[in-house]
Amino acid sequence: MEELAQEIRRLKEELDRKSEEIQDFKKWVGRDIDRDYSSPVEEFSEKELESHIREHLAAIKIHVESKPDLREIMSHRRTIGKPIAFMKRALLETTFTHLDAFLDRQTQFNRRIAALVPALLFRATHAIERTKWIEDKVGGFEENLVIMKNKIDHLISRLERLERKPKDSQNP
Amino acid sequence: MTPKADRNFLHNLKNPKIDSLTAISELAKAVEEISLRRGIQEASNWLGRAEVILKLRKPTLAVYDHAFHFIGGAQKYGLTLISALQDQFDVTILANREIRPKDFLDWYGLDLSSCKVKVIKLPFYEERKIFHLDPAFISLEVENPFHLISRESGRYDVFVNNSMNEMVYPLSRHSVMICHFPERRPQSYFYADQYTSVVYNSLYTAAWIEKKWKLTPHRHLYPPVDMDAGNGDIPKKKIILSVARFEPEGFKRQREMIAAFLKLHREWPESVHGWRFILAGGSAPNNRYLSQLERMIAEYPGSPVELKTNCSAVELKSLYRESAIFWHLCGWKQEDPGETEHFGMTTVEAMQNGLVPIVYDGGGLREIVDHGVNGFRVRSPAELIDYSLKLFGDPKIVEKLGRSAREKSQEFTRDKFEARVKNLFTEILNSMTASD
Repeated sequence: MEELAQEIRRLKEELDRKSEEIQDFKKWVGRDIDRDYSSPVEEFSEKELESHIREHLAAIKIHVESKPDLREIMSHRRTIGKPIAFMKRALLETTFTHLDAFLDRQTQFNRRIAALVPALLFRATHAIERTKWIEDKVGGFEENLVIMKNKIDHLISRLERLERKPKDSQNP
Repeated sequence: MTPKADRNFLHNLKNPKIDSLTAISELAKAVEEISLRRGIQEASNWLGRAEVILKLRKPTLAVYDHAFHFIGGAQKYGLTLISALQDQFDVTILANREIRPKDFLDWYGLDLSSCKVKVIKLPFYEERKIFHLDPAFISLEVENPFHLISRESGRYDVFVNNSMNEMVYPLSRHSVMICHFPERRPQSYFYADQYTSVVYNSLYTAAWIEKKWKLTPHRHLYPPVDMDAGNGDIPKKKIILSVARFEPEGFKRQREMIAAFLKLHREWPESVHGWRFILAGGSAPNNRYLSQLERMIAEYPGSPVELKTNCSAVELKSLYRESAIFWHLCGWKQEDPGETEHFGMTTVEAMQNGLVPIVYDGGGLREIVDHGVNGFRVRSPAELIDYSLKLFGDPKIVEKLGRSAREKSQEFTRDKFEARVKNLFTEILNSMTASD
């Protein structure tokens, strides 16, 4: 048994050595372990919705402009980089003349959406605040009602005791 | 080699009739085959099983929690689990910050001196000097910092993830995820479904695991509660107690409870006469919520409301011993399910000491308090007031419900928890060593 135990230890050490060489976790596991998940917004709580809206609103604002910024077209190649960048810009400029009308309409639409979403959000937030205020008021009334009901019950029981007393005293 | 063949092969190694040289060469061949077909990790797990089956060593168990350096209910849960298993397993406590077994003795009264502690620091959080290792900081845009723990998990026979952190991919042959509540929805680096068992602390949590993670958890283990302060026969004083952390966000609803008590005091002085309301709980320094509560009480001079922050275990036990009624409104008007009690440990603590609980009707509290049998469940401060008035006027009901509460609380004792833990891990061990 001792020999077997030694062999197991040796094999484990060998596996450990091999595994230390693998740095990438996916390679270690031997498959892609990360998946994409959808966002079921209809199931979200207010808190989850809030961060979801914040995140997506920021993205909407960034991507309002439909036309690509020509200044962003660059090339890192030392010799032929400049002519390639020039060609790309020229190609896009000529294409834009035909697409301009369409892209302008798209940008205008994007701007409107980007302005509309915060307005709707503001309205929703305002409505939520009002609902909370109303709920607090109703809660206060409910508490007062409970106290009043208890007071009435207490008074009724005292009255009943008072009513019983004279009858009791008439008994021999 | 199929799993069934694996198991029989390992059991055959125990056969004294097999020549050791043959066994060794067969073993090496099997390891090579598994390593090629299923990877190095599988081969390593297989060898680990061989060692356990051949009784060459004790089975190893690692329990990870990224918040072991904080005092908390979830951490107490994981550490009590370790305490129950430390004789059966060779246990390693995996943490991300420096921690000593002595701290666990001081904080929770748990002697874990026979366990090893391994601290694995995560560079992502260290470089940014982030003290609380919140997984919410991590998106697919950054490399998963918890893969360091995932790799470590492969060194043990059984790996337990006690964190609310689904970003650790389990590599051990058997793995258990303890879910105290599914805080996040499946998104970047979600691996909760890769564990061989998912344990849940309450039916409430189980329902949300199904809803949020779309997976059915396997085993129900209520948290351990051991707060019986003794002297069950001493008469109770006219004290309403609340025990809950003073969360800066006010989740525990202390403000609403104080308002309800002050209203009772104002509107119904005869009934409330002689009653005190004591709110005990932990608080961080400079807590604005706590200051608000202090101001609220100061506006009513002479009102019998007291705040006791960070009181000692001895003081807390004495409060439980003396008080008659327990108020807990956490969950009221909380739309986010994570902000309702997932279980409600302090309610059980109160019930173990014969207090009558009047608690919010939601979350895990529904599993603890049976309405009208051992306490009351309420939907609003108005109902809290109503049921309290009923109790103030009838000391016999208080006594009767207190007795029932004490009985019900016995379902959640540390002994029961440890027995359930041992059952679960014996099953795991059996499945690890069983032959076909």
